[in-house]
Amino acid sequence: MPANSFHYHQLYNQWSYYYDQSAPSSGVHAPAVAVSGTSDIKATNIGSGYVYPSTQPPPPGTTPWKSDAGAPAAPPPQAPGTSVFQNQHANQAAAPPGYQNQYVNTVPGTPGFQNQYANQAVGVPGYQNQYANQTPTYQSATTYYGQLPLSNQADQQKASHWQGPSSNVSSINHVSGSSQPTLQGSTTSDGHRLNKIQIPTNPRIAPSLPIAVPKAEKRNSEADLSQKPAYVSVAMHKNDVKTAQDGHEAATQGSIPVSLRTYVGRNVSRCKDDAQRSAVQSILKEIITKATADGILHTKNWDIEPMVPLPENVESTNMTSSAKDSSPFSFSTSRKSPGRRVKSRWEPVAEEKVANKVEVSSKELAKSNTFSSFDTTKKAGNSWDIGKFLQSRQAPVSQYNQRPSKQQRIGGNACLTENGNASNDSDKEQDLTKYYANAITLANSPEEKKRREHRSKRFERSQGAASSKSRSSAPDKDKTSNIYTRRSMSVLLNRSNGGALSFAVEDLDWDALTVKGTCQEIEKRYLRLTSAPDPATVRPEDVLPKALHMVEASQKNYLYKCDQLKSIRQDLTVQRIQNELTVKVYETHARLALQSGDLPEFNQCQSQLKRLYAEGIKGCHFEFSAYSLLCVMLHSNNKRDLLSSMASLSKDAKQDGTVKHALAVHSAVSSGNYVLFFKLYKTAPGLNSCLMDLYVERMRFEAIKCISKSYRLTLPVRYVAQVLGFMGIDEACEDKRADGLEECEEWLKAHGAVITVDNNNGELQIDTKVTSTSLYMPEPDNAVSHGDASLAVDDFWARTS
Amino acid sequence: MAPYLSMGEAHRRIADYLSRVADSISSSDGAALASLLAVSSAPPSTPLSDALSAFPDFPRLAADRYPHLSDLLPTLLRAIHSHSLIRFADAYSSFEKAANAFLQEFRNWETPWAMEAMHTVALEIRLLAEKADRELATSGKNPDKLQAAGSFLMKVFGALAVKGPKRIGALYVTCQLFKIYFRLGTVHLCRSVIRSIETARNFDFEDFPVKDKVTYMYYTGRLEVFNENFLVADQKLTYALMHCNPQYGANLRRILKFLVPVKLSIGVLPRITLLERYNLLEYADVVTSLKRGDLRLLRQALERHEDQFLKSGVYLVLEKLELQVYQRLVKKIHIIQRLKEPAKAHQIKLEVVVKALKWLEIDMDVDEVECIMACLIYKNLIKGYFAHKSKVLVLSKQDPFPKLNGKPV
Repeated sequence: MPANSFHYHQLYNQWSYYYDQSAPSSGVHAPAVAVSGTSDIKATNIGSGYVYPSTQPPPPGTTPWKSDAGAPAAPPPQAPGTSVFQNQHANQAAAPPGYQNQYVNTVPGTPGFQNQYANQAVGVPGYQNQYANQTPTYQSATTYYGQLPLSNQADQQKASHWQGPSSNVSSINHVSGSSQPTLQGSTTSDGHRLNKIQIPTNPRIAPSLPIAVPKAEKRNSEADLSQKPAYVSVAMHKNDVKTAQDGHEAATQGSIPVSLRTYVGRNVSRCKDDAQRSAVQSILKEIITKATADGILHTKNWDIEPMVPLPENVESTNMTSSAKDSSPFSFSTSRKSPGRRVKSRWEPVAEEKVANKVEVSSKELAKSNTFSSFDTTKKAGNSWDIGKFLQSRQAPVSQYNQRPSKQQRIGGNACLTENGNASNDSDKEQDLTKYYANAITLANSPEEKKRREHRSKRFERSQGAASSKSRSSAPDKDKTSNIYTRRSMSVLLNRSNGGALSFAVEDLDWDALTVKGTCQEIEKRYLRLTSAPDPATVRPEDVLPKALHMVEASQKNYLYKCDQLKSIRQDLTVQRIQNELTVKVYETHARLALQSGDLPEFNQCQSQLKRLYAEGIKGCHFEFSAYSLLCVMLHSNNKRDLLSSMASLSKDAKQDGTVKHALAVHSAVSSGNYVLFFKLYKTAPGLNSCLMDLYVERMRFEAIKCISKSYRLTLPVRYVAQVLGFMGIDEACEDKRADGLEECEEWLKAHGAVITVDNNNGELQIDTKVTSTSLYMPEPDNAVSHGDASLAVDDFWARTS
Repeated sequence: MAPYLSMGEAHRRIADYLSRVADSISSSDGAALASLLAVSSAPPSTPLSDALSAFPDFPRLAADRYPHLSDLLPTLLRAIHSHSLIRFADAYSSFEKAANAFLQEFRNWETPWAMEAMHTVALEIRLLAEKADRELATSGKNPDKLQAAGSFLMKVFGALAVKGPKRIGALYVTCQLFKIYFRLGTVHLCRSVIRSIETARNFDFEDFPVKDKVTYMYYTGRLEVFNENFLVADQKLTYALMHCNPQYGANLRRILKFLVPVKLSIGVLPRITLLERYNLLEYADVVTSLKRGDLRLLRQALERHEDQFLKSGVYLVLEKLELQVYQRLVKKIHIIQRLKEPAKAHQIKLEVVVKALKWLEIDMDVDEVECIMACLIYKNLIKGYFAHKSKVLVLSKQDPFPKLNGKPV
């Protein structure tokens, strides 16, 4: 069974890579490659599998990568860590969709990193690749839970994925440490302590974390609290830098308004533990930096500022603080007792428990990790821990996966959904906190600086609205403000993820938001957007008709045209163009899809068209209501849908030839009149015949059942060929008739009909009595196990070549 | 404009209303409470609503006086107030809050004394939601209140559909849910509720109140019409018809509107007097066409009442009657032939049928008619076989036109 599931993993992974259009080994194996330093995937694979002799969970401390790395390298304690470091950076580069490129530049060029980067370059869209990685990872998590040692590798990858955001968080925490004294007197000591505190974390991550932080920065924070962290360089004004630097209470008293101090106090007092506090502080620091940069530190009404969200996931913040310690030996236990935590009412109770336990066990593990890698006595704890760990992690992982794909669906308008989605789920909040942290580390570019200024202005504006609500009733206050922060955060994320989008998103000024494309190329491949669209790759409205024309005139196959049309549709969507051109594009695509029997794509276009027509945009409305009728009656077989689409036809529509034809088809089908059906099939206007095509097989089978039961003795094949549409009744060309006859004979035989030869004139005839009991529906030739022939790999290659 | 009201008088009226609500709760008087909760049936100006307009600080009054009902009373008063000002969307929002508070209380009461009040709440929330949606639609906003009312009623259903004495009230809420789902066109949502009602072991369906049973059977019968399960639909609608209070003619008509087509499709024709009595004359021509084998009349009737039939959802059912009409036509031809030359009566030439259809101004060629004959034999509406070479329909000597006898085609 273990072997089996592993096999599936491999398969699954590989499939996703086919769709990613990158080499099969790119993503999943990248971590392994980075770790061992070899390029032989198989070898590393086996290596990781061999470490554990049986199906038992790995002993504590023998986290897969560690042993992997340890094997080839010399045993100095730091060595495994370093290689893991590379590994993680590689993953980090891949992890947050949309901004790899920026991030990549900030990562030191370790071998591991380069490896990953190369893969990224091959795999076309950064995010697609990532997405593929994530999916199998999620899968493997479950299997690992089942204690399958073979899936270690995948698990390891998962762990390192998680590393991405969290190690970013860690770098913020330094900041919080140093900024702490300036913010609030009472927590000054905390700030110092924070750097020493080691809150044990999950063993999968703990040993490697310290190194995951760029070294220079780490030293900074350790040795010199007051030094300005590297990343803040962006928007910091001088006076703020000063306050941050000297950390004198006296100095801060003067420069920071009382309201701000109480605001900070409020936020910090909500924290449950140090880890959370440090995360919150880092966010606060960020806010204050911004305010200072914009010169509104004193003018802003801090009393109505929404509370920063608490990072719910204790683990993540735990990782954070552990990351600060460069030496794995400095694990200390000076964390606050759980009893002192202020429990947020948004926090699910169960989760905290899990987190707590993980903390405890991971502390053990972390220790054992440091001192002896093969301490088998801790086995039980480890296996337990893994289970919990994975459980607690799964949900966020999947969310992380889903979010970008959701965004993408509506392209440039993603921000709206994001806002709308900012619901009260606490785990979403966690996610956002991590994202936020990510965003902060990105803050090095001047671009980001601009954005930030913009953002802080927006914050000011939104406060007015927020305040009225948050003041209205005391118990609601926390909630409301939380939502507000989360919203603005989600917007922020959006922006930082989508590098190109650089306008305010909160205020729903769609016109200002809309991308105006500048790309002049007529041909463009379709790529699912994973971030905000880049105007440089979006074709403006005047180029799109040319592109459409190019597709219409093209001689290439459907897959090419479909691809091109999808990219046109995408460009229309992100630029929010909804006019007759849009209708025309969708109509063209719908027709092409029909001609190629691509019903899913047709349905997509059809639903868009319905909406567009409903908005009063002109097009071939009648033609498409006929198609929709046929589609419902022949393919969905939902009576209610059929009734409603029939009821929605206007008087004019019923006079339209195509619609009339569709209704006639309906009555032919409902009364089982196959003769009429095939007559209509021959005379179908527009693309009605394409939709009927897909029903022909069923209709014929129904007809032959009827025929064999109601005719006695024999029936000429010629007649059947005629009424079942194998050949036209008035077809002049004798060759064609003969062909049709032959085809009909084939079909009849394939469905179990018994054909004999008439003794008198030598004509073929059906023996109806025998046939009535021997009919069957053959399995379709092109059936595929996954049910969708259009997903066949051949098609895929045809599309890419 | 309401007559001027002194603050004191307004205060007194509001206090009076509040005390009546509180008293009915403390004395477990379900009927009294139910009448006090009926918001939407009130006329625009009542003594209470005038008082609410004159005394704008009523929420605090309510909250101060009855702190244990502070979730219920202020929102309830707000709902009454907004409703009297014809601001239905606001009224709905307030009422939903009050209803939630009430549901909370209701859950804690062990006996089902407040069932009547709960039902009033369920009804009121639906009516208010409908009003609110109409208001929202006219002002160009998204009418989503009925949907919200649906999810609230699901909560109520959850509170009622449990073991114990409260279960008896569950069917009423189910029916309210059906009404909402049918209006919204989301009938697939009915399925879960139906499952919960019909699979319950610990509560016999017959123990529910008759009026709820009738409504329930009516709606589930309609669902079966959509699914073209004519036998089950017949059962359910017949049950509804038999148990429906004969005084409520409108309800009988509603049931018959679906029962008649269902019965037609299983070969049972109504008397014209029945159709006349319940004003269901749109079916009269359909019935006549079935009797005469007049295909043209059937098609005309369908065309004339198309919109109506499509809207109620019986169009597809009636359309399927065509085969029965063909059967009738062939039967008539058979009878005439038997009179003319009894020896050859069981052989019907195809051209005769084609000619008959031509007289009905229905243009069908020989192949099509042949196909129809084949279908009739296949669907067991005619016993016999078709001889292709001679183009003759050969009827069985015994019972060539079997009756449907309650079996669908």
